[in-house]
Amino acid sequence: MAAAVEPSNIQLSYLDVDRTAQRVMAPAGLKYWMWVAFCAFLAALGGAFWTRQIYEGLGVTGYGQPTLWAVYITNFVFWVGIAHSGTLISAVLLLFRTRWRTAVYRCAETMTIFAVVTAGLFPIVHLGRPWFFYWLCPYPNERFLQPDFRSPLTWDFFAISTYLTTSALFLSVGLIPDIANMRDISIGWRKKFYTVLSCGWQGTDRQWRNFSMAYLLLAGFATPLVLSVHSVVSWDFATMQTPGMHSTIFAPYFVAGAIFSGCALVLTLIIPMRKLLQLEDLVTIWHLDNLAKVVLFTSIVITYSYATEFFVVWYTQDPIEMMTFHERLFGLQGYMFGIMILCNCLIPLFLFSPRIRSSTVWLFVISIFVNIGMWSERFVLISGSLSTNTMPSQWKFYVPALTEVLITIGSFGWFLMNFSVFAKFLPIVSMTELKDGIEWLRKSGGERYPYRKAS
Amino acid sequence: MSGDIQLIGSFVTDDACAEAIEALHHAKIVAFHTFSPFPSEKIAEAVNEVRGWGRSPVRKFVMAGGFTGALTGLVVTVGTSWEWNINTGGRPIASITPYIVIIFELMILFGVLGAVSSFFFKSGLPAFDQSPGYRTRFGADRFGLVVQAAEGDAAKIEALMRDAGAEEVVREAA
Repeated sequence: MAAAVEPSNIQLSYLDVDRTAQRVMAPAGLKYWMWVAFCAFLAALGGAFWTRQIYEGLGVTGYGQPTLWAVYITNFVFWVGIAHSGTLISAVLLLFRTRWRTAVYRCAETMTIFAVVTAGLFPIVHLGRPWFFYWLCPYPNERFLQPDFRSPLTWDFFAISTYLTTSALFLSVGLIPDIANMRDISIGWRKKFYTVLSCGWQGTDRQWRNFSMAYLLLAGFATPLVLSVHSVVSWDFATMQTPGMHSTIFAPYFVAGAIFSGCALVLTLIIPMRKLLQLEDLVTIWHLDNLAKVVLFTSIVITYSYATEFFVVWYTQDPIEMMTFHERLFGLQGYMFGIMILCNCLIPLFLFSPRIRSSTVWLFVISIFVNIGMWSERFVLISGSLSTNTMPSQWKFYVPALTEVLITIGSFGWFLMNFSVFAKFLPIVSMTELKDGIEWLRKSGGERYPYRKAS
Repeated sequence: MSGDIQLIGSFVTDDACAEAIEALHHAKIVAFHTFSPFPSEKIAEAVNEVRGWGRSPVRKFVMAGGFTGALTGLVVTVGTSWEWNINTGGRPIASITPYIVIIFELMILFGVLGAVSSFFFKSGLPAFDQSPGYRTRFGADRFGLVVQAAEGDAAKIEALMRDAGAEEVVREAA
């Protein structure tokens, strides 16, 4: 990677990093608040339809035998998957001392938090009586009732809540030095706000010593955690006897898919963000190029997983499994499988071209396709497998109702609203780490890297 | 920290700051602390050499947290099974294999809580008073070295810091 980096004439200083972060967090204009209001409207729309669903019951959804897990569980898996890239970029790449992570990891971590929060809503939305969701927790009660610790749904509760806590703490600890810096250069209510959040951080040798060790160990914990969480999510399906789901390949397959979709969403968010917030000097084409390489690599892993899944079914010659996979390809919803292959396996191959990897427009378009493809994959796996179960007389293809569609759109509004508000009030790029790796930033900046002018 | 005055040296690079720390060490002056805008390895190495610091004690708290979490997971899962011991299809009352997931997650959770709480505790956070000698630029683009010294040693220390490349040395009452 280092060999590809060409020097440029841009000589960023530490103060330039601060100034850029400060500019991003400057009081917002009308356009920003209109965007936040639009996202809030979508979230409110989803909330309104969820309220209606709670009042009317799950009959307002497209649920029906045999498909009782559908869009909501698809959304749950999709958002959990999105969350994983944040941990990958911030924790796993930190352990490998990868330099290009510095400009994008805060954005990815933030995405992780809001994606997990969004994902955590969907199992509750999916419940007929959502006010009893706390029954999953092992809490003291007079009947000595406890959840079944052998159930993958209970594992899910522990995995997701641990993941949310770990990711939130990882993000918060990393933010402290940057918030302290903002405290020192802000005025008015913002200064008071950052003073409280910075906890009195001053960057002494003792503080950095403990910070570095705590941050490293948090990364060390987050790395196996990220592998375990999506494995646990995959076991929600793999431990069932349902054809199309009962497979040992699910854990690694889901983890690769999570990294794939998550990195694609980082591109989707960061490309417009660097343009709108004028972050081109900090988030360079070098960073996007490396992110695109991760997307390309995980796309190939995903393609291999699809092929292996089909091969195993053909090799076992189990008639029910064979029929399920036949329906997956040629059934009524075979077009969803087509979308999945097109978006996840074929379109990412364009990323082999260095020119495409250095074009923000192309990267943005490809990342959108990957997101569509990965949502389709989860839909095919969940709804598609349940539609064609072991009783052909029960077969019925699921079609989402308006409630499910609007709650899904609402979840995107909720996610984008939270992300946008965070980006305006807290540092969305890590000033500390960018300063630490400023030599790399200088080398990668400007228009000379890597192949042509940034579009 | 003891001394009549404090000298606040400001450095443009962490190399210069580390060099000044080494110079102070050779002059047997160890009553100092540093400020930096990012965790500089060069400064950390120089400070560790002077103070004889090993690795941060945070790791011990993390290990304790991890063990506590794993033990909690084991007690909660196995204890619940024994308390509510229904035989289902001849399966073992306490099935360790599925419980490993819970034990693992709690180990991570408690370990992480140990890391964060010990980081705050050992770093003296939250801090309500400013450390002596702190300047806002030390969080932005300069490296600070604050030395506590007797008035009579001030000139010698200032010379050491300037020789190492200090951009500015300011004297203040301690």
